[in-house]
Amino acid sequence: MSNEKFKMESRTFVLKHELPVSRVERYWKGLEEGKIYGTVCKSCGAKFSPPQADCSYCYSSDMEWVEIGGEGEIECFTQLYSFPQGFDFAEKPYIIAVARFGDFKVMGWFEGEDLPEVGQKVKAETRQDESGIWKVYFTPA
Amino acid sequence: MGNDRRVGIIGVGCSKFGIRDELTVQELAFEAVKEAIQDAGITREDIELSVAGTAGTRSYELMPAVPINEYCGFAGKGPIRVEAACATGSAAVYTAYASVKAGIADIAIAIGFEKMNEVDTPTSLAVGGRSGSYLWEFHQYGTTFPGYYAMHASAHMARYGTTDKQLALVAVKNHRNAAKNPKAQFQKEISLEKAMSSRYVAYPLRLFDCSAITDGSSAAVIASEEKIKELGLKDKAVWIEGVGYSSDTANMPKRTDYAGLKATVEASRMAYQMAGIEDPVKDLDVVALHDCFTIAEIMAYEDLGFCRKGEGGKFIENGDSDFGGKIPVNTFGGLKAKGHPLGATGVAMFYEIVKQLREEAKDLQVDLKTYKGLTHNIGGTGHFGWVFVLGV
Repeated sequence: MSNEKFKMESRTFVLKHELPVSRVERYWKGLEEGKIYGTVCKSCGAKFSPPQADCSYCYSSDMEWVEIGGEGEIECFTQLYSFPQGFDFAEKPYIIAVARFGDFKVMGWFEGEDLPEVGQKVKAETRQDESGIWKVYFTPA
Repeated sequence: MGNDRRVGIIGVGCSKFGIRDELTVQELAFEAVKEAIQDAGITREDIELSVAGTAGTRSYELMPAVPINEYCGFAGKGPIRVEAACATGSAAVYTAYASVKAGIADIAIAIGFEKMNEVDTPTSLAVGGRSGSYLWEFHQYGTTFPGYYAMHASAHMARYGTTDKQLALVAVKNHRNAAKNPKAQFQKEISLEKAMSSRYVAYPLRLFDCSAITDGSSAAVIASEEKIKELGLKDKAVWIEGVGYSSDTANMPKRTDYAGLKATVEASRMAYQMAGIEDPVKDLDVVALHDCFTIAEIMAYEDLGFCRKGEGGKFIENGDSDFGGKIPVNTFGGLKAKGHPLGATGVAMFYEIVKQLREEAKDLQVDLKTYKGLTHNIGGTGHFGWVFVLGV
């Protein structure tokens, strides 16, 4: 008799979603052109990054797309050693950071010789990762 | 506005926390429900409404409220399923409390449960990481919950000089307490050296800065004062004296600051006002707070008002949150060492505080002066915030 508990496996269940992103298409197309976009509400001036098609404050849906750029400053970061399902392509621990660019904050992967520091100045670029998804990368400014 | 009906907890139950791979989710919930019903000294027929809280997705049973409700003998008495990420248990207690407070039910049960080990670790990490903001964060950047708290830790350490050692001291304290808790996943002490030399999960957080992946359930029977008198349980009741809730943005870039959780500040001030708490350190005897990661406990000392902002690291270093300190915190081992089965966690905090206020906490009993305790339960990184003040 084995000490193993009696167990069974469920039927395989594949869960893959279609992403309904047509109202924020500009953001995703922007990444392919090397640009990072946020939105500004034309009615009340609220700024959104990541962008929104509707204003959470005044409920207007009249938004202006604005490019986020220049020099950013890291506000927080981590380096992940345990990868979630879907990121098994990562060959080494990856660094996620949030950086402030003027009135907007942006999440991205940081690439540099060393770990970043809070307060460090960075510049942003866009690229496809190994799984083909476009995203923001930060490098030391 | 409102009414003056008092609402109390008359029975609590909690399963053994850990890897419970011998149990279905129904069997796991049953363990806590049976204990809570027996603890109250009532029968299952007395329950008028059941609230089932689970974050879900990691268990094969995707909509488990009805299956567990049936298994526990409550078919026809609800259930209402609630979800508030890691604060699901508090949302379940609140739903039961609000139904009783409103006079819709006289006696209700909140059941929190989570089976997290039916999927592998990369899948579990992905479910957690997708629960922040899938489209803008996980999809692109592969965020995980250790990663989210690690980002908060990086900001806190940079601004206030909080150290690795101070983080590790939280783990050492909570493991020391869990060693005496028969319900805990990890009933063993750890050394500071072991905590500080464990591998990184999400820099700057190491393995021993993180709660594990835990299965567990907990239940609380909640009743109106009239019903409690009718049942002759007045001496046993622990009253819900303060309730506070808040929330924050789903997206990290939309937060103004990372060195604390706004949801904790706002929920606690709401609960303190309702319960008449002026100085939490003086007015509370014992606290169960949300230490899913060691940095979360340090930020919570500050955001709950136990010390000034930035002094949370010193608070643990001075032993202020230990037995005999200014305010004993997570005497049961915390989420860190007792375990953090998401939906169960918030209800299990009631289990632990009720046991303390009834002086039934055995080796982990604190000295009671004000006979008031607090639960603080966070979903995500302050995506949800719940605070309750309990008293006898």
